[in-house]
Amino acid sequence: MNTVLRVIMLRIGQALATAAVLASLCFVFVHALPGDLALRVAAARVGDERVTPETADRIRREEGLDRPLIVQYGQWMGNLAQGDLGRSLLSGKPVKQELAYHASFTLQLGLIGWLLSYLIALPLGIMAGFRPGGVVDRITDALAVTLASLPSFLVGIGLITLFALTLRWLPPAGFRTGAHMVLPAFTLALSLVAFSIPVIRNAVVEVRSAFFMTYARVKGLTPAAAFRHHGVRNAAIPVVTYAALQFAFVIDGFVVIETLFNYPGLGELLVKALIARDVPVIMGAGLVIGFAFAVVSLLADLTRLWLDPRGLEEARA
Amino acid sequence: MTEAALTISHLSIHDRSGAALVDDVSLSVPRGGVLTLIGETGSGKSLIAQAVFGLLPAGLSVSGTITIGGHESIPASEPKRLAALWREQIMLIPQEPSAALDPTMRVKRQMALAGLQEEAIKPALAAFDLPGSTADAYPFTLSGGMAQRVLVASALGVGAPIIVADEPTKGLDSDRVTQAIAALKRLSAAGRSLLVITHDRRLAEELPGELAIIRNGRVVEHGPSAGLLSAPQSDYARTWLAADPRHWPRCHRCCDMTSLALSAHGLSFGWPKGGMLFEDLDLHLPKGGVLAISGPSGSGKSTLGDILLGLRRPMAGSVEWGGLDIVAMPSAIPPLRQRYQKLHQDPITAFVPHLTFARQFLALEDVKSGLSAARDLPPLLERLKVNHRLMNRRPCEVSGGEAQRLALARILLLDPVAIVADEPTSRLDPVVQRETMQLLRATVDQQGLGLVLISHDQPLLAAIADEHLALGPRA
Amino acid sequence: MSLVLEPVRARSLPPSVWPLAALAGLALTGPFLAPQDPNAQDLMRVMEAPSIAHLLGTDHVGRDILSRVLAGAPHSLGLAVLCVALASSVGVALGLIAANSGALVRALIMRLADLMLAFPGLLLALLFAGFLGGGIWPMLIGLKLALWPQYARMAEAVATSVLREGHVEAARLAGFPELTILKRHVLPSVLRAVMPLATLGVGQAIMSISALGFLGLGLKPPTPEWGAMINELLPFLAEGFVQMAAPCLMIFVSVLTLTLAGQALASNSTGRAQ
Repeated sequence: MNTVLRVIMLRIGQALATAAVLASLCFVFVHALPGDLALRVAAARVGDERVTPETADRIRREEGLDRPLIVQYGQWMGNLAQGDLGRSLLSGKPVKQELAYHASFTLQLGLIGWLLSYLIALPLGIMAGFRPGGVVDRITDALAVTLASLPSFLVGIGLITLFALTLRWLPPAGFRTGAHMVLPAFTLALSLVAFSIPVIRNAVVEVRSAFFMTYARVKGLTPAAAFRHHGVRNAAIPVVTYAALQFAFVIDGFVVIETLFNYPGLGELLVKALIARDVPVIMGAGLVIGFAFAVVSLLADLTRLWLDPRGLEEARA
Repeated sequence: MTEAALTISHLSIHDRSGAALVDDVSLSVPRGGVLTLIGETGSGKSLIAQAVFGLLPAGLSVSGTITIGGHESIPASEPKRLAALWREQIMLIPQEPSAALDPTMRVKRQMALAGLQEEAIKPALAAFDLPGSTADAYPFTLSGGMAQRVLVASALGVGAPIIVADEPTKGLDSDRVTQAIAALKRLSAAGRSLLVITHDRRLAEELPGELAIIRNGRVVEHGPSAGLLSAPQSDYARTWLAADPRHWPRCHRCCDMTSLALSAHGLSFGWPKGGMLFEDLDLHLPKGGVLAISGPSGSGKSTLGDILLGLRRPMAGSVEWGGLDIVAMPSAIPPLRQRYQKLHQDPITAFVPHLTFARQFLALEDVKSGLSAARDLPPLLERLKVNHRLMNRRPCEVSGGEAQRLALARILLLDPVAIVADEPTSRLDPVVQRETMQLLRATVDQQGLGLVLISHDQPLLAAIADEHLALGPRA
Repeated sequence: MSLVLEPVRARSLPPSVWPLAALAGLALTGPFLAPQDPNAQDLMRVMEAPSIAHLLGTDHVGRDILSRVLAGAPHSLGLAVLCVALASSVGVALGLIAANSGALVRALIMRLADLMLAFPGLLLALLFAGFLGGGIWPMLIGLKLALWPQYARMAEAVATSVLREGHVEAARLAGFPELTILKRHVLPSVLRAVMPLATLGVGQAIMSISALGFLGLGLKPPTPEWGAMINELLPFLAEGFVQMAAPCLMIFVSVLTLTLAGQALASNSTGRAQ
């Protein structure tokens, strides 16, 4: 099973490289910004009006900002390697604590939205794939193109206008009850559905037109049995690959959606940190998102290897 | 005639425009016998097989009836009724065996799904010279020939009395063709009635029973195979049989070895991980001579051709162009480049797909000094029997035979000393192949250039070449 | 014997060209069509419903929505085109270099592309925009960094397969210089493959730019960029439905046009390949 091992190593390497690039990028940004870094940190800690040259100097000494850049870079990466992400400049809380709190919200929203999207897309995509050119196919195609042309915040605004402002069925923003989850989750799901319906539909169409499906029937299988034995697995390969790829889209989606709905997830944390230039939090959120991306890609790779023996055997040969 | 296992009567197939692709064909396969349908690409022969199964592509209209076994006649336009007889009465060995197997499922499970008993699978495979490990393999690890024998084994195991084999030798090299023919004979020996669709003369000659020649959707001639092959009645059958390289007039000549177009000494080549393809090879190509290089697929024929053209470096040895060793002295290549040319296997891809031939010929003026396409091309095209109207077309708009003659014209404009032709006619129909080969031979004789002809088709090489170099099977 | 070049056949333009042309026209002329100064505030007339004076109403500081939507076109559309043009030309150039180079350079470029693709979606653009404080350049650089790898990958894949085709070998044997081969044999196929991707990419870029604007990390106010307008109008959603609908519709219609055109191009080029 050394192929599996190699896939895992590749993804771990990719995650590490991503982390290193991200951390270096943050370091460069922090030091390349115009103005005195110590002053900025001081301003963030005690507020703009109360910053004095003395507090700036104290922070410069405490944080080691007077040392050569290369030493600071080494320290920066070293801390990171030990899992020390520092404290938020804004709240003063450890970054890890902040991340853990917000990540659980995002995970919840992401998972529910993602599952919801496949709950919608799978039946529609399969129905469309069974009758290409039919009514369902044309309707879902129009739906997918429309949704694909709508940024997620527009979908969200539309849902808020309809369900929260006009019908008053659901709360427009917040996170305290289950009802608060409905609109953000649906917004995320609809953004994902736009791309997964065509992928599922095409996978089904392609497998159904594959000659081995016809031949399975010549061999005596009923159409249903042929699809069960030969169709499902082959159609699942591109769908699974794509479902994981969609995590990249989830990230665009949840940053925007969380901000729109005031939902306290990682995306909202990241945007607030970006606006406040809270570097430790930005880097921490970036690392968690990048790492999650690598993990999902790895899971997708492994699932595909399990579904499609070609990958394994080709790599072995 | 004995009772028929399968009768096709008055089968006609029309496309949307109303053109007849198959025109009133009536044939029957005797119980336990063999009927071979033979014809060129586009003759409609595969459509007949598809019609028997009710598997015609959408958009074609069909009339006529199919009678299978003792069942009542079924109109060919009712595919559902034909489908009811699949597996129990009639089985298909399809044209592309690999595409008929689910790529994600092991062979034994697919055979089990076809209805074979678990313990019968390995013996069934062994009967067709397939190792027991085949049962546990995934289809993509099998060669086309092996995949086909898996399907033949399944078909035999399933027990359908009638088996239709569509192009069972397509894409197989000569040894594999022998195996495929043996497999079909075994089916016949097991008492199955066979309908075999092919373009391959060898199959027609080696399978017993009846033979029908199809052209433009009609049966041109039909009768017992041996009689038809030895004494064809129709003109088309005669032309077609004469297109067999074994029936071509021999044209060997003894060449003047003092004036060489190309020679090579002590050539060796191997892939980094795959052992040596050939070692210490010597060859001489005289001007006006044809040197054949043959060998099974993977034996390094094409690689040797590329080495002779200076496109790839050998591991050892020398290649001499007019006395200059281009391996030791790569700087000798550029000035002689245009004089050592190649004719590709797929002539259509040898031209830029989005430009007309006229543009592509005109462009040659940029690289060949003194060339005037307007002056030099028309007589050449006339000699090669190329219609000048083709010049305004794009490569996808001409036939394979036309494209190969255009490719030859392009090469000849560059005034070559030697041409390496890599399977130049393997994708052409027999009659076109004969014309193209005769043209090549005539060009070699008239212009006194050397031709290296790479092919796996032994009879073809025997008919055309002066000398023959056979590369061994891959170690 | 007619070796004369055929007259260039007037190819019928696909119907999706016309909406595209309309979009381009809007991006070029939008600001000049604006009936009023898009930044002129009138605090006496905030969140007004549509009227003759303000066809689409006014926003929370009394600016004319119609003028802002029109004036925003070059920002939202023009930037997206610029961004994709930059990313695709860099990507195609690197892809072609990779396809024509030895194993080392190829591996270097393609691994770099892989690394960039390991960054999820907007993250890079967010970082650049966030750190460098919004504005045009951080956003362009961020989006470009995120986008070039897909063009590089496609260009490399297409170029590598074309370079293996018979006509390239035939051209080499005929003595054509490598640059001519690249231009005449490789580039047309690469561009044909990249065009649909780039068209869809402009639509995606419009969405990304407006998303950044919506997050408050895009172009700086009071620039009338559509995403930023939506951000500003969001608190007043209940009072000003028409005002909000205007920039939303502009984004939707623009992206829809580009998506449909991209799909048409894609099916056109695969259709031709068969």
